[in-house]
Amino acid sequence: MKIFSSYHPVVLLCYFLSVTVMVMFTAHPVLLAEALLGGICFCTVLERGNQFFRNLAFYVPLFLMIAVVNPLFSHNGMTPLFFLNGNPVTLEAILYGIDIAVMLVAVMYWCKCYNIIMTSDKFIYLFGKAVPKISLILSMALRFIPLFKIQMKKVSVAGKAMGLYSSKSRVDKVRSGMRVFSVMVTWSLENAVETSDAMKARGYGLKGRSHFSLFRFTARDAVLLSLTILLTAIVLTGTGLGSTAFLFYPKITHMSFTPFSVVVYVAFGVLCFLPFLIEVKENMKWKYFVSKI
Amino acid sequence: MKKDFLAIGLIVLIIAVLINGTHIQSVDEYYLTHIDDITTETDTVFVSIRCDTILENYEDLSSELQSKEFVPTDGVILAKTEYVLRPGDTVFDILDRSVRYNKIHMEYQGANANSFGSIYIKGINHLYEFSCGPLSGWTYKVNGVFPNYGCSKYTLKDGDVIEWVYTCDLGRDVGNRWMGEKAS
Repeated sequence: MKIFSSYHPVVLLCYFLSVTVMVMFTAHPVLLAEALLGGICFCTVLERGNQFFRNLAFYVPLFLMIAVVNPLFSHNGMTPLFFLNGNPVTLEAILYGIDIAVMLVAVMYWCKCYNIIMTSDKFIYLFGKAVPKISLILSMALRFIPLFKIQMKKVSVAGKAMGLYSSKSRVDKVRSGMRVFSVMVTWSLENAVETSDAMKARGYGLKGRSHFSLFRFTARDAVLLSLTILLTAIVLTGTGLGSTAFLFYPKITHMSFTPFSVVVYVAFGVLCFLPFLIEVKENMKWKYFVSKI
Repeated sequence: MKKDFLAIGLIVLIIAVLINGTHIQSVDEYYLTHIDDITTETDTVFVSIRCDTILENYEDLSSELQSKEFVPTDGVILAKTEYVLRPGDTVFDILDRSVRYNKIHMEYQGANANSFGSIYIKGINHLYEFSCGPLSGWTYKVNGVFPNYGCSKYTLKDGDVIEWVYTCDLGRDVGNRWMGEKAS
């Protein structure tokens, strides 16, 4: 149990929404770098130790691929480095590719954290009464990938136990993976129908059905919520005044370091590192108390 | 294991084809264009690049392009210049040679990448399609007439006058009438 997941669902939802939406709608390198670092730190705290390197093995190639593909298709920009089939490959396009890659990887890290923290019971607690159908669909969609991974492992292990997929050839391995995947598609369709049937049988969404939940809005929830709103307001004011705007084409904008824009960068940085700092603080507290016993 | 080698061979083949299809030039090489000398016997054509319509619709232009660097105050990116016409030259060949010679930025979409089978000019001097409103882009006329087909399909003859013009209203503001005729 991580301390951040013990906050009230409303606070958590506000927090994740404000971070991910702001990351998605900015192209400013400073803000994106803060979001990426904050996301990686938070994710590393949430997951077990070796998971960090496994993540890297997936995200680093993805990052490079996005960064390389952009300059191949986008030729705008003032500084050509070389020419590919008569079209310029520019410095601006390469930097923009890196920027977009940082944004995508940051959003993916934050979504990973969201999935770990916002379990489906919290989501249903928030929206189950107001919009039962949509909230069920959304919570099923959000847990789809993790569930898919677990079931995929089960299917391939079962296949292996029966003596399938034992060939050493890489091509055979890929083919057996495809076979598992096709099994999984059928299974996931069936599973979705079964889940919704099961929920219906339990009377989900009926009038007068009561809910039980242990979530209570306490003082520390109020503190975190007001802090989130305050920092978001600062960053949004910055956006309104244009200090988070950043253009790559045709010329890269000069990064502004006026006092106000620095305040905006710091505010967004604090917002991104907030959960990480909370976890670190709780860890230190725990260690401190343990050492006292 | 045999299958693995086959797969590796296939991947190598695809990479080889891709590399074979790409042509990499350094900046100096790209701009180093040979312009033939004009003599009395050579065929020549005239080419000009203008963006006057942007000056009339300056408020529609993307804010990052609103500078003299990209939109000259008189709207002339390349004044009317005479170039030698080599046999079989199309409008695109002349444009390509002239922008290289004058070191003007230009991006095009290859003839295989669209359904018209002709090269499409996406942007000149960092002014792109849609940079100045949703109906904006580059178009060309030869001897004052809009040919209504791609620039790499128009083969030129001696004395032709090519004008590359930027439109902000799908050609109507630069005098292209065929769209209007079709609609009415």
